[in-house]
Amino acid sequence: MAGSPAEVTLTQRLLKGGHSGYAPWLDRRPSRDVIERIGLPALRSEEWRHTNVRRWYEAVLANGSSRAEEAAAIAAPAAIEVVDFASPRAAELAAAGPASVIDLASQPLAAVNALLLRAGAVVRAPSGIRSTEPVRIGALNGAFQHVLVHVEAGASLTLIEEPSAFTHRVIEATVAEAGHFCHWRRQARSAERECSLVAVRLQAGANYALAQTSRGADLRRNDIRITLAGSGAEATVVGAWRLHGHDHLDNQVAISHAEAGGFSRQTYRGIAADSARAVLYGRIHIAAGANQTDAALSTKNLLASDAAQVFAKPELEIHASDVQCRHGATVGTLDDAAMHYMRSRGIGEEAARELLLAGFLREAIADAEGAELVGLGA
Amino acid sequence: MSNALLEVDSLHVEVDDKPILKGLGIAVQAGEVHAVMGPNGAGKSTLANVLAGRPGYAVTSGAMIFDGVDLADRLPEERALLGLFLAFQYPVEIPGLSNMEFLKAAIDARAKHAGLDEPSAADFIKRAREAAGRVGLSADFLRRGVNEGFSGGEKKRNEILQMLLLQPRLAVLDETDSGLDIDALQVVAAGINAFRSANNAVLLVTHYQRLLNYVVPDRVHVLADGRIVRSGDHTLAEQLEQKGYGWLAS
Repeated sequence: MAGSPAEVTLTQRLLKGGHSGYAPWLDRRPSRDVIERIGLPALRSEEWRHTNVRRWYEAVLANGSSRAEEAAAIAAPAAIEVVDFASPRAAELAAAGPASVIDLASQPLAAVNALLLRAGAVVRAPSGIRSTEPVRIGALNGAFQHVLVHVEAGASLTLIEEPSAFTHRVIEATVAEAGHFCHWRRQARSAERECSLVAVRLQAGANYALAQTSRGADLRRNDIRITLAGSGAEATVVGAWRLHGHDHLDNQVAISHAEAGGFSRQTYRGIAADSARAVLYGRIHIAAGANQTDAALSTKNLLASDAAQVFAKPELEIHASDVQCRHGATVGTLDDAAMHYMRSRGIGEEAARELLLAGFLREAIADAEGAELVGLGA
Repeated sequence: MSNALLEVDSLHVEVDDKPILKGLGIAVQAGEVHAVMGPNGAGKSTLANVLAGRPGYAVTSGAMIFDGVDLADRLPEERALLGLFLAFQYPVEIPGLSNMEFLKAAIDARAKHAGLDEPSAADFIKRAREAAGRVGLSADFLRRGVNEGFSGGEKKRNEILQMLLLQPRLAVLDETDSGLDIDALQVVAAGINAFRSANNAVLLVTHYQRLLNYVVPDRVHVLADGRIVRSGDHTLAEQLEQKGYGWLAS
């Protein structure tokens, strides 16, 4: 099938062009293979039904991959090792660490990222180190970014993605046995077209807590793939978003239970106003043999205008028999009774609406681990 | 007249095109406590809600004058800022919005309306804690979501807390006594008695005489089928307690 002009042009450029020379140790052959064999996602393919991927290709072609070449802005406590991909130590760490957890065939944008990569860092929480002070990722100098996280056995890491711009960002993490990874993503409102991938693999007894707060962008897409690869692993995902104007946000979340005794919770709250569009696909996959899995997904959405749109789709795929798995999705409008209650206390309509909307989102995230670190705690 | 703080005259109100209030009249002076009693379905809560400006209550004729201002065209928040307060029969739960934040927004709105500076956070917290203490709610309730997971009694105490904090000129209490155990009833009554002053007034809407053992009203009105059918002093409430409402309707 012939692709759109932007898709064809981008594919040709990627296959012809060598890489930037940044992080030469990075094996880019699998990425080239995927682009060559499978190609880039086509417009309105099933995975991209709600997001016009062509507009992202246009952004890639228009922006290129480079920005000022400077060290990445990452602040970290002393106990956590942070190494720029440009350093030989990054190659050592990547080689010594677990294999990549990214399935390039299903994430071709990550292949584009690899070929155009200009900013990257390894973040390593050494075995047994339990750091309470967070690692903060600010603006990285490069439109294509990759942060490789290794949480070693029994270690604990908190990582906060501060609002910053990118064309594509990969956060790839492995959490070894009994390790703990607390991850906050804060996405500011943006006029740009941004896509990201979070790919996390959890070993036995490991725990991952993701909290993501998003404002809209001209185009924003977050793919989140979490694999509970060891028994008794736990994943908690909390997402809250608030969109205005023509904002577009597409969250595609998949949690895969591969082993027994896993636990996962997904909780999403979203508000879409004006003619904004919000998408949430939340998938739970439970493999054969992943018995005693306990998985749940809940999403609540508020539409603050007639033109706003929300697509909320929970999806369960269960191949084990002894599991607990449930989901719920609601789409509604602001509670009239609550509005009147507030106004009857002298709070004006606009202020009352604002308090209710903020409260609606806060209810989902205030209790998330690390909320106080980003100023969102109760 | 009228130097009445609240004067309701020949008020007709419909809900879903159904007449509920059919020519109700009542006048409350500053410094007074009035009780409006009546059987279920008489229109008691409609009176409370229409005073507060709840959407869905259509005034088809008559007037509600509060402190010289015709309430008919006033938004709910404007009525509140004029000094009218409704303690809800069913206070609303608002998860995610802390009671403290809610109260601060209400206090700030009043300060702004009065052309005053917003109270400092420290001053506000002190006042809120003091009000909470007076209705027997711990400071923990101020941090929780508005009425979230509160028991029925705690919700009603929270209404009284708001009344004490906001210091309205007229407090309309819509069946605040219903569903309260005797301890909570006494706390609520003590709050109302502490609130009473020569400058404000209270309109107690209630089905039972029980609360009136603790808050002695200046006037008692019986509301039946959308009208006041009898008014008297506090002894009328005792008669109602003994005889029920039937003897008035016949």
